[in-house]
Amino acid sequence: MTAVGTIVWLASELMFFAGLFAMYFTIRSVAGDLWTSRTSHLEVGYAFGNTLILVISSIWCQLGVFKAEAGIASRTGKFYELAKWGMREWYVLAYLFGATFVSGQILEYSNMFGDGISLNSDAYGSMFYLTTGFHALHVTGGLIAFLMIIGRTFTSKKFTHHQATGAIVVSYYWHFVDVVWIALFATIYLLQ
Amino acid sequence: MKVESALFGVIGSFFAMMCLIYGFWSYWDEPVGTVGFALGAALCFMISFFCWWTGRKTDLRPDDNPEGEIDEIEGDYGFFSPYSWWPLYLGGAAALMFIGLAVGWWLVILAVPLVALASVGWVFEYFRGDDAI
Repeated sequence: MTAVGTIVWLASELMFFAGLFAMYFTIRSVAGDLWTSRTSHLEVGYAFGNTLILVISSIWCQLGVFKAEAGIASRTGKFYELAKWGMREWYVLAYLFGATFVSGQILEYSNMFGDGISLNSDAYGSMFYLTTGFHALHVTGGLIAFLMIIGRTFTSKKFTHHQATGAIVVSYYWHFVDVVWIALFATIYLLQ
Repeated sequence: MKVESALFGVIGSFFAMMCLIYGFWSYWDEPVGTVGFALGAALCFMISFFCWWTGRKTDLRPDDNPEGEIDEIEGDYGFFSPYSWWPLYLGGAAALMFIGLAVGWWLVILAVPLVALASVGWVFEYFRGDDAI
């Protein structure tokens, strides 16, 4: 029940990002030369590395989900025995990678801002910060959800079905945000 | 879940076809409608796929059986909160935060801890005290 509700909500989130993509393409089609002069400030290689970090974070998250489905909340072996890690350890790792992505995004913003591109400088600045900014807000929301899911594993001795559902649902959200970023990366950095 | 999956699949296919027709008629020159139709189709296919995927893992529900009786569906539907005050706190805190976006950033900074407190309260409600499950 929770899972179906989450998917329906994520489908509506897709339409929210559809609006952002439509905005981007519309303004790009009427802005003319502005795009060619502004997109030269983008650092595609750096953004690609950042994208890779987010995609890898999704993999750690999925490994955590497998553990949650098996009902293993925390590691059953030593810290270096990766195979015996529980959901908590994998989610902490996914959290760290996600947090690195947002930090990298902030660094990218400071570079763009240093080049004189800001939210109110021109149409390109508005579109760049709106699309990537709303995505970064979603990632931040996901990070907070990770913290809560990790925190809940400490509250009870037994890992309940209720907790596992929460963990799985957060992973749906995380994968969704990841896929949206891949589309955004392709649009903003590759297609320009 | 087969009926739900097929329903959203049909609507999704409609949007996908409309996307092609719209794109063709506008010479692929008008991005808003094309992107809107394409992602509208993706919305439907996402729900359709999830219903199909869930239906594959669960047994056929009594509502899928044309010969099914009403009493076959008795039992627990899921977990529903008996009551909770946290959504009210969270709503108030979020309202304060969004007023802050319009009025001034200082109000946002004041509201953020309240939002954090209310969301933590809501998430952890059933893991402590008398209502623990």
